[in-house]
Amino acid sequence: MRFLPALAVVFTVTLATAACAADDANRVTVFTASSLTDVVDDLAERWKAAGGSEVVAVLGGSNHLAAQLRDGAPADAFLTADVDLLDGLLSNPAPADLVRGFAYNHLVVAMPSDGPGRNPGDLHNRDLVLVVCAQGVPCGDATWARFGDLPVDSLEPSARAVVTRLDLGEADLGIVYATDVAARPGLVEAWPHDPACPCVAYSAAALTDRGRSFLAFLDTPAARDVLAGHGFVTEPPS
Amino acid sequence: MAVVGITVLALPLVGLVQRAPWTSLGDLLGRRPVLESLRVSLTVSLVTAGVVLVLGTPLAWVLARVEMPFRRLVRALVVLPMVLPPVVGGTALLFALGRRGLVGQWLDRWFDVALPFTMAGAVVAAVFVALPFYVVTVEGALRTTGDEMEGLAATLGAPPLTVLRRVTLPRLVPAMGAGLALAWARALGEFGATITFAGNLPGRTRTLPLATFQAMESDPEAALALSLVLLAVSLAVLIPTRNRWLPTR
Repeated sequence: MRFLPALAVVFTVTLATAACAADDANRVTVFTASSLTDVVDDLAERWKAAGGSEVVAVLGGSNHLAAQLRDGAPADAFLTADVDLLDGLLSNPAPADLVRGFAYNHLVVAMPSDGPGRNPGDLHNRDLVLVVCAQGVPCGDATWARFGDLPVDSLEPSARAVVTRLDLGEADLGIVYATDVAARPGLVEAWPHDPACPCVAYSAAALTDRGRSFLAFLDTPAARDVLAGHGFVTEPPS
Repeated sequence: MAVVGITVLALPLVGLVQRAPWTSLGDLLGRRPVLESLRVSLTVSLVTAGVVLVLGTPLAWVLARVEMPFRRLVRALVVLPMVLPPVVGGTALLFALGRRGLVGQWLDRWFDVALPFTMAGAVVAAVFVALPFYVVTVEGALRTTGDEMEGLAATLGAPPLTVLRRVTLPRLVPAMGAGLALAWARALGEFGATITFAGNLPGRTRTLPLATFQAMESDPEAALALSLVLLAVSLAVLIPTRNRWLPTR
């Protein structure tokens, strides 16, 4: 019975967390593409200040989240980096259930601020450690479409994971979003990106009434301010 | 309650088997990415088994036979990876052996060796999680057999190496086999430490579990097929070690 105290601790913690989870009547659960990690908290804060509800952001790769939603995960809204993932989630959506392209993002080649990248030819330099997103996740599909076959050293499950590899200095070059570089003081763009090509468009879907009111907020100047403040493009590319 | 317990364990396996694409299984498993990750998995897990044998046997012997201070602490350290979440193990390895890690920066500077994103890195991750299974099994066997026979052989004039070769090792072989099978299976199933420390690249570090995870993103059928392979291997490991886990009665 020596483990009884430990068991009691586990039990109490479980109860406490369960109690927290039960108090969700006024919360809006938003499944959020991981590249929106930094901005979603600010969006939530601004919405709450404007009379909205508490937002619980569940972060992950867009297609992981989509798979969870298809399996019945409870969410009120879904912010995805790939609009095609909404197929089969929304049958016959009303206009208020879907916001296409509420933000856009550039794909950039990033490196640690003391990194060795000089020009686009370095992407094909096998002596440099290059890490990108795996095919199948939005940033990976966009990377393939934009850069083609590269001598890659690891395929990561999200752009965030690529950022971490760069942050830790394990990778020399990584292909991530412009907003990721803007958010990390230790990272720089290895060379300027093509301003004409925002490679990824974010779309939002409402799955419940509460989600619908969050979507309505996304379509306001206040929300666009927050997004632009984090480096997202809010105008559709011409 | 016992029935509920059995159900909790068995139900996911039933789910896996009943959703299995039996008719297209051969086709799914014959694809290049699958064969590639099978090759990576076999290479990594077999090399791991070799490393575990070489490092684990002396370690188990020391733990079982040598009186030393802090032995309980050392044993706790050895067992820790069994209960540690593998992703924590991978993170720890990164900070120790990564290019900017505690030891890794010197490996990089002096020998131009970088473990992350290499097959050697995948082996290191697998050894970290698999070694305890071997050490614990062999140490247990050493304790239960005792050291009377060794003492007897020594009093009869056998030099220490002969005692090791003729007395200790022969009686230890079944436990070493069982420990090795468990460690190998653990290495084969390793996911968290591998993807965190060694990354994920087809043909280099993408093992079967990583390929399964990747396939769930785009091709759940392939993920099912890969899961079946791993399930079959796990069952195959239980057969030679069954006397240890399943009462023969």
